[in-house]
Amino acid sequence: MENQTFYYDNKIVRNFAYATLFWGVIGMVVGLLLALQFIWPSLSFGIPYTTFGRIRPIHTNAVIFAFVGNGMFTGIYYSLQRLCKARMYNDVLSRINFWGWQLIILLAALTFMFGITTGKEYAELEWPVDILVAIIWIVFGWNMIGTIIKRRTGHIYVAIWFYIATFVTVAVLHVTNSLAIPVGLFKSYPIYAGVQDALVQWWYGHNAVAFFLTTPFLGLMYYYLPKAANRPVYSYRLSIVHFWALIFLYIWAGPHHLLYSALPNWAQSLGVVFSVMLIAPSWGGMVNGLLTLRGAWDRVREDPVLKFMVVAVTAYGMSTFEGPMMSIKSVNAISHFTDWTVGHAHIGALGWNGFLTFSVLYYLIPRLFQTQLYSRKVANLHFWIGTLGIVFYAVPLYWGAITQASMWKEFNENGLLKYPNFLETVTQLIPMYATRAIGGALYITGIVMGVWNLILTVRAGKFLPEEVASAPARERVSGKRGAAEGIHRWLERRPVQFTIAALVAILIGGIIEIVPMYLVKTNIPTIASVKPYTPLELQGRDIYVREGCYTCHSQQVRPFRSETERYGEYAKAGEYVYDHPFQWGSKRNGPDLSREGVVSGRQYKPNSWHYNHMLNPQRLNEQSIMPVYKWLISNDLDISTTPRKIRVMQQLGVPYPDGFDQIANDELLKQAREIAADLKSQGIEVEPNKEIIAMIAYLQRLGKDVHAAGNPTAHLTAK
Amino acid sequence: MLRDIFRSIGGIENYGIISTVIFAVFFFLLTLHAVRRKREEMDECSRMPFDDGHKEINDHKENQ
Repeated sequence: MENQTFYYDNKIVRNFAYATLFWGVIGMVVGLLLALQFIWPSLSFGIPYTTFGRIRPIHTNAVIFAFVGNGMFTGIYYSLQRLCKARMYNDVLSRINFWGWQLIILLAALTFMFGITTGKEYAELEWPVDILVAIIWIVFGWNMIGTIIKRRTGHIYVAIWFYIATFVTVAVLHVTNSLAIPVGLFKSYPIYAGVQDALVQWWYGHNAVAFFLTTPFLGLMYYYLPKAANRPVYSYRLSIVHFWALIFLYIWAGPHHLLYSALPNWAQSLGVVFSVMLIAPSWGGMVNGLLTLRGAWDRVREDPVLKFMVVAVTAYGMSTFEGPMMSIKSVNAISHFTDWTVGHAHIGALGWNGFLTFSVLYYLIPRLFQTQLYSRKVANLHFWIGTLGIVFYAVPLYWGAITQASMWKEFNENGLLKYPNFLETVTQLIPMYATRAIGGALYITGIVMGVWNLILTVRAGKFLPEEVASAPARERVSGKRGAAEGIHRWLERRPVQFTIAALVAILIGGIIEIVPMYLVKTNIPTIASVKPYTPLELQGRDIYVREGCYTCHSQQVRPFRSETERYGEYAKAGEYVYDHPFQWGSKRNGPDLSREGVVSGRQYKPNSWHYNHMLNPQRLNEQSIMPVYKWLISNDLDISTTPRKIRVMQQLGVPYPDGFDQIANDELLKQAREIAADLKSQGIEVEPNKEIIAMIAYLQRLGKDVHAAGNPTAHLTAK
Repeated sequence: MLRDIFRSIGGIENYGIISTVIFAVFFFLLTLHAVRRKREEMDECSRMPFDDGHKEINDHKENQ
């Protein structure tokens, strides 16, 4: 068949590469600022826009979706064209994908800074941006599948399978987890509540790790590692088992983020089983990657691209061993809510994603600019400083985690908590936090060196925007399966059918876990004393969400004696039924707050304490690492939204009486005046229309309903 | 010691049943399929990243 000449679009690859470098620096500098706030809380500068709760989502989203996301697109746009021997399906779609993605990142940074957030970790974007994400993601998938369809090759290479799985699964996860009813342009309530919201959120959260941070990068590994090593992948057979086993198993593992929570035990068990089984395909992939280097290990010593890849794949192996171990309940009892999770996440993000992204950039940019890398020495230095940075980052966090978990659980000889003051368990960790910040600074130093090296490489070379290539047209064969052709072999040349098969594989686990949670009502036993929030408490809760309090405080007491002694009654599914969204959190930089309002409880504080604490936490305890929230005292509470909020809650099934939206603000003001009067009696003059009043109302409500039930288990009834 | 560790995991009695069923059905079929694939075919697939359309350009230039 006659050869056809065509051109690869390198411009889109270059643009995504530039965006990767830019957002990488931004995202990690914000991370460093967060790390320093643990040591010097004053680095939140006393303004709302730079408090931990608001910029932590900027850091996580910038690193995951901006740095890693752009890196993923860079690698995919380059490799997909070459594996398909075809230009991208449509240049306009490529450009929409690029500019749309950058717009989303910019909107994310701005909205989070202004406190516009859903309060769901890694899914904090509000509904208008969520819709934009869905549109841009579809544009990416349309462009990708269009390219695969018009390819000049018969077989679809395994890297592309991982790209396809990434596309379909992220689409399903994003849409399912983002379903919400808008209250206004910048505020919505998720359709799920409490336990159900938690399950959907962590099904999404875990699989964002799986299908945004793992599968596309495995695809990149299957393309760039053989290219850089100049060796075909060790075992293509193993890659087939790796792909299907991984996507099938991964989707089930989400509930391991909710062990010992109010989630039904069957769902927790499923999460554990599938998490442990995940070691098999994960390590299969890692072994396949490392063995691809057989006979080429001598080059690893010299070539920075291979060096970065080897550490990336090794970090993948470490993370995918550590993750299943942390999913075992006995280990999770120690690791959860501590810095162990943060350390684990950063081995994956800095080691696997960060290093693989830089190996791809070091491989691609000299080729796009038809030159050599400006300095191999600097790239090698980047490698060593980065590796050292990862070690300095993770080790103190593991140390800190075990220290803190042990302190939380320790009792003295009288059977009382040895460290009843939570703050003691935080101040103990400050040296570890300082070492972690040094690790982060080292990693960023490496990145800055990498960026400098790549800028000089770009300057020294000449960009090749249109790269000529030639290949025979794809042979026309029947779409039907041949007599001797197996189902999988047929799928390997049918992109649409392959996409559907991948979709079915990922839906099985999701459906089995999530559907029963909605259909089997005994999963969420109701508690008679649990009532909807008052309008003032609801407004206060929205401020709690706005300020990102969940990034440091959990609302989830686990059924351990060490926790019930410290906080009070352990968490029940029925107490969260009106929580849109749930606010269980995943990390305790401060104490759990779910029993904060129980007057006779250990955690209870009067209104005046909350007022003074928000005004200046260090005045109450100079060792506190909490930022100041003085604007809550000066900001007027916007009560114009109350009727609409009540109506949306009613739509979601919260049993406010008919017409309550009309009188909600009267009730709100009545409760606000009572709190203001109580503060006045303590010598604090504050008007009832200030945000602090709503925040205090919400905090004082936490745990009251469960406590009112007396013996909570006696009031459990199936809905 | 190992027995004690496993005994302390909540719901351990279900783990074996669920995982056995999954492994038996899914991995068996998948592995069987992978093993039965022809070696030449697998080798050809694994070499795909090395053929990105530039070889033909070079061949074409050489023929000219």
